[in-house]
Amino acid sequence: MTNKRISFLIARQFCRSAFRSNALYAILLVMAVMIGFAAYSGWKIYTTQNAIRQHYQHEVRASWENNPDKHPHRMAHFGSFAFRAKHPLSMFDFGLESFVGNAVYLEAHRQNTVNFSEAGFSTGLLRFGEISLAVLLQVVLPLIIFFLGFASVSEEREGGTLKILLTQNVSWRDILVGKSLGIFLLAMCIAIPAVAVTLFLILGTAQNVLITDTLLRFAGIAGVYLIFIAVLCVITVLISAASASSKSALMKLLAIWLFMIVLLPRTTQALGSYFYPSPSKIEFDTAVELDVLKEGDSHNPDDPHYKTLRDSVLRVYRVDSVQQLPFNYSGFVMREGERISAEIFRRHLDKLIATYKKQNRINELTAWINPYAAVRNISMALSATDFESYVVFQQEAERYRYQLAQTMNELQMKFISNQKQGPDDKPYTISHEHWKALPDFKPQQATIGTALRHEAGSVLALVMWSILSVLFLIRLSKKAKAV
Amino acid sequence: MYMLLVKQFIRSKAVVLAFILIVVMGIISILIGRQFLSRQENTIRQVTTHQREHIERNVAAHDEMGLLLYYLRFSLISKPDKLAALSIGQRDVNPGIQSVTIRTLEGQKYDTDLNNPSNLQSGNLDLGFIILYLFPLLIIAFTFNLLSEEKEAGTWRLIAVQARSAKVYLLQKVSVRAVALYSWLVILLLIAILVLSLPVNEALWAFIVASILYLAFWFAFCFWIITFRRSSSFNVLTLLSAWVVFTILLPASVNNIVANLYPVPESLATMVKQRDGYHEKWDMDKGITMEKFYAHYPQYKSYGIPEQTFNWLWYYAMQQMGDDESVQYSNAMREKILQRERVSRSIAMAMPTMHTQLFFNDVARTSLTDYVQLLDSTHVFHERLRLHFYPKIFDNAAVKDENWKSFIPEYISDRKDMNWSAMLLPLIVAVVLLSILSVANMRQIKSV
Repeated sequence: MTNKRISFLIARQFCRSAFRSNALYAILLVMAVMIGFAAYSGWKIYTTQNAIRQHYQHEVRASWENNPDKHPHRMAHFGSFAFRAKHPLSMFDFGLESFVGNAVYLEAHRQNTVNFSEAGFSTGLLRFGEISLAVLLQVVLPLIIFFLGFASVSEEREGGTLKILLTQNVSWRDILVGKSLGIFLLAMCIAIPAVAVTLFLILGTAQNVLITDTLLRFAGIAGVYLIFIAVLCVITVLISAASASSKSALMKLLAIWLFMIVLLPRTTQALGSYFYPSPSKIEFDTAVELDVLKEGDSHNPDDPHYKTLRDSVLRVYRVDSVQQLPFNYSGFVMREGERISAEIFRRHLDKLIATYKKQNRINELTAWINPYAAVRNISMALSATDFESYVVFQQEAERYRYQLAQTMNELQMKFISNQKQGPDDKPYTISHEHWKALPDFKPQQATIGTALRHEAGSVLALVMWSILSVLFLIRLSKKAKAV
Repeated sequence: MYMLLVKQFIRSKAVVLAFILIVVMGIISILIGRQFLSRQENTIRQVTTHQREHIERNVAAHDEMGLLLYYLRFSLISKPDKLAALSIGQRDVNPGIQSVTIRTLEGQKYDTDLNNPSNLQSGNLDLGFIILYLFPLLIIAFTFNLLSEEKEAGTWRLIAVQARSAKVYLLQKVSVRAVALYSWLVILLLIAILVLSLPVNEALWAFIVASILYLAFWFAFCFWIITFRRSSSFNVLTLLSAWVVFTILLPASVNNIVANLYPVPESLATMVKQRDGYHEKWDMDKGITMEKFYAHYPQYKSYGIPEQTFNWLWYYAMQQMGDDESVQYSNAMREKILQRERVSRSIAMAMPTMHTQLFFNDVARTSLTDYVQLLDSTHVFHERLRLHFYPKIFDNAAVKDENWKSFIPEYISDRKDMNWSAMLLPLIVAVVLLSILSVANMRQIKSV
């Protein structure tokens, strides 16, 4: 059985001796600066960008409502914009934030791309990465843990103190648990400030409506990193105990770090897109255009699809020309055209997103061999900066665009006369009172539940990693050698 | 003696492993580059066919010039340089093809390409990455214990006694590793030249010279660290930390700073203003729009102010206002982007990793500047189309009289001259500086 008191003693002893070296103070100082810098950058980007985007979101709503009386189809072309709001937790984990578009023009007949991503304005330096609190905890902290712990057991063996400990009725398990705990406590000197500053930032900036969900997400993030750090500490101690020398333990740990954090993620993601190529915008647009033409061209009066449609409508209403219909017929045709083209677009977009998900799949699966990948995925999902959150924004923007276009088509059907106008007639208009009836664009953030469901695999992998590290610790404490 | 050092080096298992790692990763990266190129070239072919069919279909369907030009899209292509396969740079996020109608340009030219954001985030695995990230790691792995391992194994005293000079011995050991790593670099470059059939031109030489100097920087840096004669563990930790700082923390911090100092709200302003500039004109008196239009293009003044409810002259004048009234925002955005580029480049001068990355993108023509150039060319291209079609629309010229076959995609013109000294000088300075520091340290190396 583990003797808790002895483990604590070993942990305390480990921390004490660590604090005797200048290197630790240097590390803590550098990390304190980095945490401050990352928190400031995160906060600054969040507040600046959200202020800019909210400003324009309000401006475009005001200009929508202030339009004078006009033909509803003009309004459908006037359109609106959707700006992507940043989640408060994006201050902690930037995730994909810089790589996704931020603004999209929403108009009738056309699904525009979400433009103006930070990556598009970047000078190529962005590919080196960004400094966020999450990156410090995911990338830099593991390196520090390995550095602090590589010699934790091997040094005692090299110095001969290990034998003395073991002969004094201290079990292997006490030593391994104690050393892991010691490294863990040191790691907490970095992790706790990073997490605390995050809490401080979200409490300082989050809107009240979202605060419960945001705090739940925050708790999830804190828990995930706690487990990740604990797993890393155990791995460090196990490798130190199982290695012939401190130097060989260090080499192994550094190799693990490089493989886990630098090589594997980039390679698997690159292979994913190599094996599942996705279309360029031009290919995509061409495919959509061809499919829409196949269905029928609403602007062509002789188009078979719309001819059949007209004949059946005339039959139902028992009239012989569209002018006699009780509603505006071109509004009706446009509603049909919008429905068809939006459906075709959605089908193609779903296919595209499915391809992207396939590309990401290999990387996600590596969570089972790479705890870093698991934590990275969960952290992004909880910070609402993952792929899923972006897809949700894109879908909401498209849904709003569709609603806008169809509301205008219905207004046209209802209020615009069916009589054709001459070239010099004043165009038909409807009252500007109608514009306010269209609700504003109000994107809904996914809740923590949905976010976690998408990352179920990574959560399970992380659970597996914590169980495995305990099992390995038990196994090694039975088999380890003193010399 | 030298042969013995070579043998000793080659026999190590780690060297074989490293060789396999770098060759496998290198070949993967070259294949990824080849796929990138072939997909871009494929898209260009498709655009050419698509534009022909698109024009044919629309010309057949519309007999009114104004309506036809509402639909017609014309493509401007920036053909990727073959070197782009080695350094994909910004070419993945910013498109190399612009397809525009003669309507408001500001609403069209910033459309991004379709991208998987996860791919963008993890970054491209191109040969540039292998050279920038992996080669330094191997240099670190091969050099960190050159001196310390001899001391730790107790062989240093023997060497000091037997070798003519301990310093020469140390340099010999480094040179064995340098020859190995440079030959691996040459192997990868040769594979790249063969697989991608790269033309051997000035740009390729620039890429090669930069790679050589970049590795030299890391050799000099590692050598400088080992001349402090600390333990193997100290060396490896210092060098790896330096690697993390140079390849991750510093460039990433600079990126944070640039993004924070220069946000680009002008992009959103341009987007909104180009819409308002055009759309608001529908609710205004035609005279206002036409007056502004004729102020921009006095040569069309004789067309007067149309009286019908709808008229194509008025319509395109309104579209023109989308561009004219957003121009100050769009110029401000362009200036902001270039400012970001300037600031990054100046800071990069002091950081070989960043400098080499930007340098690779420059020679491969995949940098942000190249994208801004494409945007500028698009502007010129679009204006030329407008001026060609405006009078035909205003006169309602017959659609069949136009030679539509001549409207094939255009390519933007070739590269500017390369500024070798600005590109290579920062690397040379870094290498020389580190060498001087190492020599100063070496003086103190005694035999014990």
